[in-house]
Amino acid sequence: MLHFVALNDALHKDLKINTALIEAQGAYERMVPVVLSEYLKLIVSYPIVFTKNAETGKFISVALLGFDERENLFWSDSKWDSIYLPLNISRQPFYVGDEAGETIICIDSKSPCIARDSEGEPLFEPDGGDTPYLQRMKSQLSQLLKGEQETRVFINALLELNLIMPMTLDISFANQQPQRVQGLYTINEERLAQLDAEQLLRLKEKNYLQPIYTMMGSLGQIYALIQKKNERLGDA
Amino acid sequence: MNKPVTTIVVVGGGTAGWLTAGRIAAQHNVNAGGPVKVMLVESPTIPIIGVGEGTWPTMRTTLMKLGISETEFIRECDASFKQGAKFARWVTGAADDFYYHPLMLPQGFGKTNLVGHWHQQRQQQKIATSFSVTTCFQESICERGLAPKLISTPEFNSVANYAYHLNAGKFSQFLQQHCCEKLGVQHVLADVIGINNNGHGDITSVTTAQAGNISGDMFVDCTGFSSLLLGQHLQVPFIDHSNTLLIDRALAVQIPYAHEDAPIASHTISTAQEAGWIWDIGLQHRRGIGHVYSSNHISEERAIEQLKNYIGPAFNNASVRKIPIHCGHRKIFWKNNCVAVGLSAGFLEPLEASALVLVELSATFIAEQLPACRAVMDITAKRFNETFQYRWQRIIDFLKLHYILSKRTDNPFWIDNRNPATIPHSLQELMELWRYQAPGDLDFTSNNEVFPAASYQYVLYGMGFETDFGFSSHLLRDTDAARKQFEKNRKNIAHAVASLPSNRELLKKIHQYGLQTI
Repeated sequence: MLHFVALNDALHKDLKINTALIEAQGAYERMVPVVLSEYLKLIVSYPIVFTKNAETGKFISVALLGFDERENLFWSDSKWDSIYLPLNISRQPFYVGDEAGETIICIDSKSPCIARDSEGEPLFEPDGGDTPYLQRMKSQLSQLLKGEQETRVFINALLELNLIMPMTLDISFANQQPQRVQGLYTINEERLAQLDAEQLLRLKEKNYLQPIYTMMGSLGQIYALIQKKNERLGDA
Repeated sequence: MNKPVTTIVVVGGGTAGWLTAGRIAAQHNVNAGGPVKVMLVESPTIPIIGVGEGTWPTMRTTLMKLGISETEFIRECDASFKQGAKFARWVTGAADDFYYHPLMLPQGFGKTNLVGHWHQQRQQQKIATSFSVTTCFQESICERGLAPKLISTPEFNSVANYAYHLNAGKFSQFLQQHCCEKLGVQHVLADVIGINNNGHGDITSVTTAQAGNISGDMFVDCTGFSSLLLGQHLQVPFIDHSNTLLIDRALAVQIPYAHEDAPIASHTISTAQEAGWIWDIGLQHRRGIGHVYSSNHISEERAIEQLKNYIGPAFNNASVRKIPIHCGHRKIFWKNNCVAVGLSAGFLEPLEASALVLVELSATFIAEQLPACRAVMDITAKRFNETFQYRWQRIIDFLKLHYILSKRTDNPFWIDNRNPATIPHSLQELMELWRYQAPGDLDFTSNNEVFPAASYQYVLYGMGFETDFGFSSHLLRDTDAARKQFEKNRKNIAHAVASLPSNRELLKKIHQYGLQTI
């Protein structure tokens, strides 16, 4: 069961990561958790919405990748077809763990990204220091760790102001097959327009107006996603 | 006579008192400084009865109207989810004899009355399952101990319709705090020692030992069995229904779970005994179990012995509360400017958890129909009395239905229960009708119905009642439509069983994470 092991420069001295396989880790994800600090990069390709964590019922911020279970419309011809790869994909196979209150970096020892041959990015220099690749991964993980906390606070602020509302997508695809997508949530624009000056000022001071409008703007990407699906249906 | 009704005095601080005070205060924006004031006078010495631990799904609406968070309610009141009742050993008394009265309507109810089709297909041996299993997915959830929703389902929303089991003492405390802190109800701790009225018989004030005279325009009697205002002071007689409902004693105990991860049943279990039945209600931290029986048919020792047999060794550490039951209600519930809610209005055996729902229905009526001034109050009172006389009678009929369909003969209790002299005429008439047609909504034409036709269907066909569809076979030609509904129900069962967590697991998660409001 426990295959998330703490990264260790002695234990993992010779370990290499096949970076070509990293994107494939998200090939069958319908959505991927994202953080505030990547919203501006995400909006280029993805609808950014909220959904509930199935285990806790708590809201999380995600980029929508498809409509059906296990459908990632960005995964095509064995590659991730988008300018920006969300952090939660690109940081694979590394995770942030917790050991006695300390944040530690773990690696999924069963990840297929762990190189079986000599090809791949090493993690440690011969003298024991981090390679530039591992430094990059560490920086991504720290952005994620900080981002998850920021995003949680952001979501709580929205909930407090009743700014989150359920969104039901009723989509008719090119093959006339209708589909209802539920369990997604977005910004309640009507409620946003009703906020008083003081409430708006508080959102502005926390720098929340930008991500709010980014989320709203990103919903246009749903049409691009529908188009991707239609193209796929056309190919079939 | 044309004085506005602005000061409402609720006497008594049990669940009935706080629910009524809270509903009036919320409805009339008492906290926002409206003209209406609500005061609740509670005795610091008289304990509440507190055995009403099963609710109806209506409680969800009531809590919402009071502005209560479901997460807080579940956490504070030891509450769990209830999806109906399982009646064990009611028909033959055999170990495998049971049926369900779930809280969801049969599949496609309103579109197709499935009873005839179910009956036909069973005769043709195309299906072998019971009516409730064939037409409703809820029994299958209950049998597996599953919750009616997911942690991601918002507060008060459901996957399967549900009510609650709750700790009545904690619920009263919780309501008190909410009513006083959030809804602006004034709480006076004082013993009522006198009741004062004017020349027309209206109550003008109650005299208390600790807080002097408390005046009001209208009084709500929530004083429990003593019915201090309506019964004792206004002398409204009690209508006894013990000729129909033979139960007259209750023994109640609280039993801890064997271990902290023991499953919590998501339905009330009612197991028939020699001369009564045992309720079994699973809260988060304990079970509430009790034996209601007829003292004319078995002795107290025998009743205790049966309760002990049901519970097993855990019984030995429990203290047994003995509660007398007088099945019946006041002749009227609202007289002059006084209305009774809760036990002061009446009590019936708790077979279908009708006590709290009657409190909710009364509180809703009073809050939403609060007479603006004394001049119109008698009209409101008359309508209230008509409505609730009807409702009490409907509940009595429905409770009696469970007894008359039993085939048990192990004690004269069951035989006496089937004696036509004990069966209300209104129920006899319906039973005659249902010999040739299944219960339908048109059998119940009042908009004050308490139990829908679906409930009668579940009990009748759960208990093996046979309706003769011989004269109406032309109504059963659309077998395809029926088959589709049965198929839909099978799919619903498979989906629910695959996705729902256990009752215990969901309650734990609600403690840990809370439910979202959207």
